[in-house]
Amino acid sequence: MSTENTAIESYATENNAIEKNATENTTIENVSRRNFFKTASIATGGLVIGVSLPMQSMAFGDEVKEFDFNPNAFIHIAENGDTLIYCGRCEMGQGISTALPGAVADELEADWSRVSVKQGDADEKYGHQATGGSASIRRMYIPMREAGAAAKEMLIAAAATKVWKIPADQCSAKNHFVINNNNGEKLSYGQLASLAATISVPEKPKLKEKSEYNYIGKALPRHDQAEVVVGKRMYGVDTKMPGLKYAAITHCPVLGGKLKSVDKSAALAMKGVVDVVVIPRFEVPFGSIGGVAVVADNTWTAQQALKKLIIKWDLGDNQSYDTKAYKAQLVKNVESPAEVVTERGDLKTAFSNAAQKLSATYTGGHLSHSPMEPNASVVYVEDDKCEVWAATQAPKAIQKVLGEYLKREPTDIIVHVTMAGGAFGRKFKCDYVHEAAVISQQVKAPVQLIWSREEDMRTGYYHSISAQHIEGSLDEKGNVTGWLHRVAFPPIGSLFKADTTGPSKNDVGAVDKYPFGLPNFRSEIGEAKAHTRIGWYRAVYAIFYGFSFSSFADELSYKAGKDPLTFLNQLYDANDNAEQKEQVKRSKDALALAAEKAAWHNRNKLPEGQGIGLAVHYSFRTYVAMAVRVEVSGDDIKVLQVDCVIDCGQVLNTDGAAAQMEGAVAMGMSLALSTEITFRNGAVVNSNFHDYPVMRTSDMPQVNVHFVDSGFEPTGLGEPGVAPFAPALANAVFAASGKRYRDLPFKPMTV
Amino acid sequence: MNKTIIINGEKQNIDVDEDMPLLWFLRDRLEKTGTKYGCGTGLCGACTVHVDGVATRSCVIPVGVLAGKSITTIEGLSENGDHPLQKAWLENNVPQCGYCQSGQIMNAASLLNENPTPNAEEIDSAMQGNICRCGTYQRIKKAISQVADDLAREVS
Repeated sequence: MSTENTAIESYATENNAIEKNATENTTIENVSRRNFFKTASIATGGLVIGVSLPMQSMAFGDEVKEFDFNPNAFIHIAENGDTLIYCGRCEMGQGISTALPGAVADELEADWSRVSVKQGDADEKYGHQATGGSASIRRMYIPMREAGAAAKEMLIAAAATKVWKIPADQCSAKNHFVINNNNGEKLSYGQLASLAATISVPEKPKLKEKSEYNYIGKALPRHDQAEVVVGKRMYGVDTKMPGLKYAAITHCPVLGGKLKSVDKSAALAMKGVVDVVVIPRFEVPFGSIGGVAVVADNTWTAQQALKKLIIKWDLGDNQSYDTKAYKAQLVKNVESPAEVVTERGDLKTAFSNAAQKLSATYTGGHLSHSPMEPNASVVYVEDDKCEVWAATQAPKAIQKVLGEYLKREPTDIIVHVTMAGGAFGRKFKCDYVHEAAVISQQVKAPVQLIWSREEDMRTGYYHSISAQHIEGSLDEKGNVTGWLHRVAFPPIGSLFKADTTGPSKNDVGAVDKYPFGLPNFRSEIGEAKAHTRIGWYRAVYAIFYGFSFSSFADELSYKAGKDPLTFLNQLYDANDNAEQKEQVKRSKDALALAAEKAAWHNRNKLPEGQGIGLAVHYSFRTYVAMAVRVEVSGDDIKVLQVDCVIDCGQVLNTDGAAAQMEGAVAMGMSLALSTEITFRNGAVVNSNFHDYPVMRTSDMPQVNVHFVDSGFEPTGLGEPGVAPFAPALANAVFAASGKRYRDLPFKPMTV
Repeated sequence: MNKTIIINGEKQNIDVDEDMPLLWFLRDRLEKTGTKYGCGTGLCGACTVHVDGVATRSCVIPVGVLAGKSITTIEGLSENGDHPLQKAWLENNVPQCGYCQSGQIMNAASLLNENPTPNAEEIDSAMQGNICRCGTYQRIKKAISQVADDLAREVS
C-alpha cells in the first residue's frame, strides 16, 4: 500500500494516525527541525518564500525552477505590500486557513489587514494535504512560522545592507515595515519586496518568543468571512463555466448491490435531459459504489428525470442488514469472552478479590456526517486534460482515484480545492468526484454533480455502530483494581480490506493506552463485520471510547461512594506509567478548571432537576474537559450550560478555537441525543433532516470556552471537542435524575 | 411571452419550466450562487430568500408562481454588504464553514423586518428552521440580539 493510502488508512483511528503515520510524521518533523527556504523572483517582482520538504528537495536550480521545488506553502509579498499566503491544508470551516496564515503573519511581522489567503490546488509543493486527524496545526506550525521568520529576516537584511548600509541587528520589523533603530526611519515591505528577493535565505531563522506574538494566541477574524456574509464565498456546489452540464445521481441502496436493469426512456424524453449515465462500481478505496446518473441543463431537471428512471437492483449480500438486530448481536459479542488484545497485571485475581464489582455495556449507532453542503464537484475530462473543482479534504486522493480510473498520471489530474460547506470526514472520500469524472467523460462536457440530501444520507460512509462492555472491580477503599474492556464495531479498515471481520488490535490502541491507572487490565475485541461503508466522522472512535470510559468512571464513582471528580483524579493518580505522566497531569488540570468554572463544588445548591456532569478526553494529542449542566424533567433533557476547557498547547487563534468547541458541543449534542442512521433490509431508512434530527438553534446551550496555558507545542482542535460531550451529558443527566443512558443517541427517533 | 420576476431589483424573464423551484432558477439559470441547496424540501433553511420582504424557502417554491414578485437574495440584501446583520455577523465572527449563513442572515433579516425587537425566545422560534451543522447557533443568536438591541435603542 502506498504512503498516501497508509496515511489515509491511519487517519482511521486517531491513535493509529499518530503511530502508523510514522513515515509521514518523520518527514514533517524533520521539516520542523531543518527545513530550509529558497526565494524566487516572480513576475510581479515580489518576494516569494516556499517552505520546502527535505525529502523532496532537489537541487536548487535557477530561479524559475524553484517553483518546481515542492514547497508546501508560499508567502508572496507584492510591490504594493499586499501579502498573499497560500494554505495547502483544506478548509471546511475548521479555520485552518486563518490559523496557520496568522502564525506566518506573526513571524513575518505583517499587518494582518494586508494579508490575503488562498487555498492551494492539489500539488506536491504543499506537502501532505489530506486534511484529517486534527493534524494541520501540529504538522505545519513550525514550518509555516519559519517561513514567515525567514521572510522577515530577508526584508530586514534588504533594508539594512542594500539601503541603509548598516548591520541588520540595528534594524527591526513591525507591522509591515522595517525600521532603522538608529533614527526611526522606515521602509515598507512593499518597497523592500524586490530587494529582499535578492537576499540569500537564512538557514535557521529565529522564531519569536511567546511574549512577542502579535497574532498567535489572540483572536483573529476569519480571513474570508466578509465573502460569506454577502454570498460570494465559493463552495464545491458553486463552480460555473461555459458548457457546464448538471447531473443528479442515485445509487444502489444496499452496499455491494449491482444494477440489473435501467429503463431510461421516460427520463430521456424530458426536455433538457442530455443523457443517462450508468456508473459501474469502481473497486478502489473511495471509488464510486456504482449508480445511475441523469445529465441535464440544470440540477432540478436532472433530479426530476432521475425519478423517472425505472431501475432494478440486484441487492447482493448485505440486503438483510438491520441495525437493531446488528446492535443486539454486537452486545452479545461483547458480553461474552472475545479475542484478547492486551493484558496487564492479573485481572483474574483482582476480580476475585474485589470488594465490589460493576459492569455496563455501552452502545452507539451509525452517524451520517450530513454537512450542509452535500457532496459536490465539477469535473471536466478531456482527451488530454482532466480538471476538477471540488470541496474536498483530500485533493491527492482525487488525483489518485481519477488517475487510476482514467489511466493517467495522478499529477496530470488538476484539482482546484474549493471551500467545503462542512465536511466532518465525509469529504475525505472522493467517490462523488470520481462519479462526476465518469459522467463528464461520457458526455464530453464539464459536469457538476451534486448529490441530493437523500443520497448523501442514504449511501454515504457512516460512523461505526458500536458496543463496548466494561467490567470493573473496586477494593474496600473504593480504588479501581481491575478493568476489562471489550469492544466490537465494524472498523474503517473494512474500506481497505474486504475480509475484515472486526476491529483490529490497533483500533483499540486508545483503550489500551487510556491514561487512567489500570494496573490489572484486559482489552478484547469482538466480531463485527461491516455491512455498509464505514468512514471517519469528526472525532472518529474517540466518540464511543470517550463515552464508555468517562461514563463508566462516573458509574464506578457512585458505586465506590465517592464524588466523581475526586474519583477521576484518583484514577489518574493511580497511573504510575512514567510515559503517561504528562497525559495524567494535563487531563487532571483540564478537568479541574472545568469543574471550577462550572461551580462543581456548589452543585448541591442547583435547583431541583438540574445536575452537572464531567468528562475529560485526550484525543488527537489534545485534552478537552467538559462540565455540562442540564435540567431533566421526565424524558425531557435541556442542556443549559457547557464549560469547556481546552489544553491544546499553544492556541493559535483563540476565537477559532472557541468556535471549534461550540461546534463540537452542537455536534456532540446531536449524536448524544437524537441522530442515528438506521438500516433495514440492507438500506438506510432515514432520508433527510426530518428523520435525521440534527440539533437546531433552540437547543443550543451557553458554551463557555476556557484555555489551559500548558506551554506545550500546539495540537489540533477540529475533533477533540466532540468526544467528552456525550459522557459529560450522560453523567449530568444521571446526577440530575438518577437515569443512566448507555446507548447513543439517548432518545433515538423512530424511523 | 415570458412571465417576469424581479431579482435584487432587476427584471428577469422566467424562461425556464415554471415548476422549477426558485432556488435552481437562481443558481443554475442566473448563476447567482449565494443561495444554497441544503435539503431540497424546506427543512434546513440554507436556501432562504425574501419574497416581497418575507423569508421564503426557495427550494420548494416554483418560480412560476412568483411572477411579478420581488425577490431579494443574499447578494441583494445590501449595497455593500453593510446590512446591520451582515456587520453583526462579522463582529461576532459567526461563520465557520459559512455554507448555511446566507440562509441564516436572510431569515434573520426577515424576522427583524417583522419584529425589530425580538426577545431570545422569539429569535429561537424564528431561527428554528435554519440548520447549522458547524454549530454557530450561539453566535448567530448573539449577532441577531445585538442588532435588535441597536434597533430598540433607535426606536426609543
